[in-house]
Parts: sequence; structure tokens; C-alpha cells
Amino acid sequence: MDVELSEILDTLCEYAPFIDLKDEPILQDMVKDIEITYLRAGEWAIAPEARNQTLFFIRSGAIEAKNKNGKLLRRMHEGDVFGSSSLLRGGRSSHTMMALEDSLLYRIPARWFIQFYSEFDSFSDFFELSREVRLKTAMDNQSSDLSLMTCPVHSLLRRPPITANHDVDIKTAANIMSNERVSSLLITENNSLVGILTDRDLRNRVVAKGLPLDVRVDMIMTQNPVTVDAGDFASEAVLKMMATNIHHLPVVKNGRPFGVISTGDLVQRESHGSVYVISDIFKQEDVDGLVAISQKMDHIFTQLVNADANTQMIGNAMSHIGVAFVKRLLQLAERELGPPPIPYCFLALGSQAREEQTISTDQDNALILHDRYDKALHGDYFRELSDYVCKNLDRCGYPLCTGDIMAMNPRWRIPLSEWKKTFAEWIEKPKAEALLHVSIFFDLRGIYGDKTLARQLNSYIRELAKENKGFLSALARNANQRTPPLGFFRQFVLDGEGKQSRTFNLKSRGIAPIADLVRVHALALGSNKLNTFERLEDIEEAGIMPDGRARDLILALEMIGMVRIKNQKNQIEEDEFPNNNVDPETLSEFERRHLRDAFNIVSRQQEFLKYRYPGKG
Amino acid sequence: MNPKQLPDNWQEAFAKLAEECQSPALKRFYGAGVPGLDKPLEETPLVSLDIETTGLDPNKDDIVSIGLVDFNLEGIRLNSACYWLAKPHGPLTHESVAIHEITHSEIQDAPRLSSFLDEVLDAIAGKIVVIHCAAIERPFLYEAAMKHYGEPLLFPMLDTMAIEANAIHKPWWQRFGRQPSLRLDACRQRYNLPRYRAHQALMDAVSCAELLQAQVSHHLNKEHLTSEYDV
Repeated sequence: MDVELSEILDTLCEYAPFIDLKDEPILQDMVKDIEITYLRAGEWAIAPEARNQTLFFIRSGAIEAKNKNGKLLRRMHEGDVFGSSSLLRGGRSSHTMMALEDSLLYRIPARWFIQFYSEFDSFSDFFELSREVRLKTAMDNQSSDLSLMTCPVHSLLRRPPITANHDVDIKTAANIMSNERVSSLLITENNSLVGILTDRDLRNRVVAKGLPLDVRVDMIMTQNPVTVDAGDFASEAVLKMMATNIHHLPVVKNGRPFGVISTGDLVQRESHGSVYVISDIFKQEDVDGLVAISQKMDHIFTQLVNADANTQMIGNAMSHIGVAFVKRLLQLAERELGPPPIPYCFLALGSQAREEQTISTDQDNALILHDRYDKALHGDYFRELSDYVCKNLDRCGYPLCTGDIMAMNPRWRIPLSEWKKTFAEWIEKPKAEALLHVSIFFDLRGIYGDKTLARQLNSYIRELAKENKGFLSALARNANQRTPPLGFFRQFVLDGEGKQSRTFNLKSRGIAPIADLVRVHALALGSNKLNTFERLEDIEEAGIMPDGRARDLILALEMIGMVRIKNQKNQIEEDEFPNNNVDPETLSEFERRHLRDAFNIVSRQQEFLKYRYPGKG
Repeated sequence: MNPKQLPDNWQEAFAKLAEECQSPALKRFYGAGVPGLDKPLEETPLVSLDIETTGLDPNKDDIVSIGLVDFNLEGIRLNSACYWLAKPHGPLTHESVAIHEITHSEIQDAPRLSSFLDEVLDAIAGKIVVIHCAAIERPFLYEAAMKHYGEPLLFPMLDTMAIEANAIHKPWWQRFGRQPSLRLDACRQRYNLPRYRAHQALMDAVSCAELLQAQVSHHLNKEHLTSEYDV
């Protein structure tokens, strides 16, 4: 018997993913298994809570996908397929599918989908690519939540600004503040912001100094204060307050005063921990005080996660706090050992330099000495200084680096000219094996002391690296050594409800590979950015990667980072020691699916790296 | 009983024919009865059938192919699809070749209809047959059975052409200009169904099944008994 369904086969083969299978005889067997369904507009293809057992192909008509909350996700038309994601999860569907117009659907039984998915790369690739689009939708949805970190500054403002002209006297200003019940007053000249006056200024600069009350307010105000734009993210306001240790931050819009954010406003948003901890760190007069603060770090971290901060914000906050510990320890060390005999610069390396620290990270640091360094004269001082900082950092919850990449190692405590020679050696005679252990040095930030030393070294590295193809290709090869747990995940997903007790490391198999591959592009580009997100923005602008791919990586990094941070938060709350290992069984469906999408993106970008920086080996 | 004089009560007619018929295939066919007629449309097992012929006269022309596919209102199961080519007694006319694109060489080695008519009957037994244009298909099948078995083949049908005519029927005073076409392809377009290459018996059977699904969801009540709609 001849079954003549070639017309249906031909139609399927006009569209991806079937177009690539059109020469496979097995496709004819699949066609014989299709069931055809007609849906009238408004009828469900996949109803809420329904289990789905088929892959749908839209032969004619239009279908609308919505999430559980009824939000429209996408519209699909003739030639589109849907239902794949629920099939990959054993039939559980998180979306509903409804006919928008009268539609004719070809239903392909799940077993064919599963078989093709595992047999034909072009077929599985098709569903993974469309997943990149989905991942973006998911992340967009997440960021639409109003959290402290993603909401604009103006959404935190509770009233219009209280202002006074710069030529009023102190008494008038104080009366305004008192009548309006505010603790800060914005001072204007021709309606532009010129200064700020706070309760504390009145106390410290007027009352304590015994100043007469008819002095003009512009004599005692803080001039040209740090400001934030009304449209900026609240996270930037937090960072500015942390960095400058102030409690009132004027908000401007087009140069005109628009309001004031106080730490009080932020306290209400439950993320005050990180704002205060930095000023607390600088108030400590001994190491014991710092150790006491460090014991609150888990709590601060948990608070940030609970406040829905994104990973960039948390990385930023944790790094700023980490840097504050280093700075305060160096101040205390200098107090004990006396001022440094020659200029030096203390370097943060790796995640701290990139401002991507989370909780419980090893210390990675180094020290640049001025070229006037004379070991006989200055050696002891810097040895003691470095020992003091590194060992006390260990006490403060930043364990000693197992790879010995620390300022207390004399090898990483050398003058600028020596550093340049070291880097020249790495870059000009690259050996992948050797480079593997030092890639961390290519993310370096001066955090204390004479920062021009770090700047000089960084620009030297940038100039040298971008010219050197051999170096870039060796670095690219290293970046591809750690691969995302792709096969494992595919297995996991296809197994559906199968038992898995293994865990995988999100840092070494997700975050580090991204940081590594982005670093290669950034060095090739000569970018002066260190933060991976910022580097990706430079990379996107320079057009190194195909359109949209830099954006995909940003999303992937945010996704993996978020799962890691939430996992660490849970570990802390379970009274476990936070680490980077995650058990896939503890993940939500959302996390599992999107993590897998993110790993696919990383994997594809690793492939691209090979192609972009080819080399021997 | 013949295609022009259909029984009022199909159940009784089937029972009687099951008694009277001598050929085992027809006995089996009538013995299976028409259980679908007493069921709501949504519970009735359906089979869509289409034939291609050498011409339009059932007394002179022959069937050259038959396609059929099982379905219900939920879906059309392509794995039930059957398709037969038959070698006609007379020569193929140019007109018929132009319509169904079946050529001499293709049917040179095809079996005679008589060799597989039993299979066709077994495939449609116990189900309600859906066709587009009963007025043509019914006499051809009747004649084929008369030639081969010497006994009649008649059964109730759901005719998508009749359903369509009914659905778009307007009294004469509301009509003007050309009457809407009732060809299969024209009917399908009213329901946003895709265009297929016409006149291949199996695809036309699939096509007709899709049309019935669309018609039911727009015009018929699937909870009503199938006997309300048959011809």
C-alpha cells in the first residue's frame, strides 16, 4: 500500500527545523504519525494545567502563547512549531497556547520529537536557538519587578525637594528645615543646585564652631555635592552613598533639584546593611573590630539577595565591601609600621578587581612597588605590611589563596618595571599551560596607595596584549578548558523526573568560563574595563561578536549568577557553608530551564572564540 | 434500494442487507451496522473517503484511486490512512488525466478494483463515512459493488458539500449575483484552511476530514446525534 502524504511532508520541509531533515527517510515515517486538529479561534491547543504530549506545527492560522499570569509571550503563525519546552520537561507546560484565529495544527507525537532531538543536531539546535529569545523574555520579565536595584531613583522619592536660595542666612535655612521636617536642604542659585545643608552640618559647622546665625548659608553648605540623576537606577544611588559615605544624596533632573534620597529611604527598602557596613569598617580601630563586622557579612549578603538585587549590584556591593576591608587593614598596618618609605599600590585581582565578588571568596591580591624599591632598605617593611593584610583578611573571612597569588608572596610583590617584564614574558612568549595559572592577573585594579602605578601597568598590558595574536589564541584556548555542564543537563532534562544526586559547580562551569572568554575579547579590543558586564558592553559596541550575542552573554551571566547567589543564600539560611555547587534537583523549573539555556549560550560563545582567535594546538 | 432511493431507517436496512447479501465482505460490512448514527457527533467514529474516476458517468467510467483516513472531532489520524490505485477497464481519457494526474504508466501494473474492494469495505465498516459530494461518490461505489459482488453497496454519509450548502444557504430573495462555490477548495477557504493540491484521493480525503472538523466547530452541534446530519 502506497501512502501518499507527500504534500504534508513537503509543507513541513519548507520550514525549520524540518527543512534540514528533508532528506531523512525517517521523516516519512513521522508524517504517518501526525494527527491533524482544527481549532476555532479562542480554543485551547494547550489549556491551563494541561499536560502536553505533542509537538505542534501550525499549518494555518495563528496561536498565542501566554504565561501563567496571562501575559502574552509570543504570537505564532503558519510554519511555527510549539510545545517543545513542555515535551522537554515530561509534558508539564508552564504556558498556555490558544488559537487566535481558526487554525489547522499538525500534532507530532512526543516520541518523534525526543528521537529527533537526540539524533539530529540541527533539530536540537533549532530549539536551543529559539531558547535564547525565550531567555531574554524571561529576564526582561524578571527585571520588570520593582526592586531597589532595578527601580529608578525617582520612584524612591516621597516629596518634592525643599530648597533655599544660596544667599539666605543660617537661621532662615534652619527654620525652613524645621518647618518642613527635613534633615537636609538643597541650596540653589538661579534654580540650579549649588550645595546641600544637613542637620549634621548645622551641628558640626555652626553650633560646635559657635558661628553667628546671620552668616550666609553658602558659607557653610557642602558645595557641588555628589548627585544622582532622577532616571538612574537606585543601585547607583546606593553605590554613590557607599563610596562617599554620605547619608543624603541630592537627585537632579536636567540640572535642577528634583529631590533627596536619604539612607532612611533605603533602610525602608531593607538594604541598609551594605550602606552602613562600609562606614562601619572605616570606624574600626583594630582587627578584632573588623573580624566582628565580617561575621555579619552573611546577613548583609542575604539581605541584598532578599531585596531582589541583581547579580551586578550584589557583585558590586560585595566587592566594595571587600575592598573596604583591605583598605582599612592597610591603614591600620601603616599606623603600626609607619608610613611607607616609597610609594606602592595594592592590587585587587580576579573577581574583586572585576567587582564581581560574592560571599566567601578567596583573596587574590598583589602589590606594585615604586621603581625606587631597594630590597635591602624597603624589603622588610613591605613584607610585614603584606603579611599583616593577607593574614588578617583571612581572619575576616577572605581565606588565603591556595594558589599563593597574594601580596605576601614575594613573587607578587615587585616593582613596576619587574611587573612589566613579567607581563611581557607572558604575552610575548605565551605558553598556554603557564598562562592558565596567571589569567587572573589580567583583571587587576589598584585599590589602595599610589593608583597611578596600577594605571601604568594596566595601560602597558593593554597595549601589548591587543597586538599579540599568539597570546590571544593561547588565552582563548585556556578560556575553553572549562566547559558548561551541557551534556549532563541535556540528559537531566530529557530524563524528566529521573533521580539525580550529582551537583555541578556554577562558578567553574558557568561564571568563570564567561569571565574568561569575555576577557579575551576585551584584551583583543584594548578595552580598559574590568567588569564583565561593562566589558561586554564595549564588545557589543565594537561589534566583535555577531549581532545580539554580547547581549545573550549578559543575560546568561545574570541568569547563572542569580542561581548561584540564590543558592548561596539558601545555604546560609540552612546554616551550611556557602559554596558554588548546586544540586539541579533543588532548582525551580524556571531556573533549570533557563540555566540550561544560559549554558548553551556559553558553549556557543566558546566555539566562537576558537574561530575568532585561531592558533596552533 | 439504489442510490436514488435511500432507506428511511439505515439501521433496519443494514440488518436486512446483512441477512440477504451472499458475498462475505458485504455481509461483514452490513453486519457491523451503523452504530455511529445513534451517537452524538463527537463520539462517532468517522472515516473520510475520496475516489478519483476516469469520468463522471458511474455506468461507463471507472474508479482509479481510493483514499481514506479515520478521524473524529478531536483529530485526524494519518497513521490510519489508506490509498489504493486501481487499473480501469476502459482507457484513461485526456480529461481525467489532466484532473487527477494519474497516468497510464502509473496504473499499468495496478490491481483491479475488485482485488481490494474487500479491504475498502473492512476499513469503513462500523464507521460513518464522510465525503465531499455524495451525489457523485455514492453511485460510483454502488456500481463498483454491483459489478464485483452483484449486490448493492449503500450507506449513510456525512456530505461536507451538503453541510456547506446548508450553512451558507440564504433564501432566494437575499441572494444576488453568483452563488458561492461549493467545491472542496472553495469551502475550505471559508474556514482559513490551507490550500492543497486537489485531486489526489488520499489528500482529498484528509482535506475533507479537515473541512468537516471546521464545519462542526462553526455550524453544527457536536452533542447532537449524527443521524441529524447524515444524507
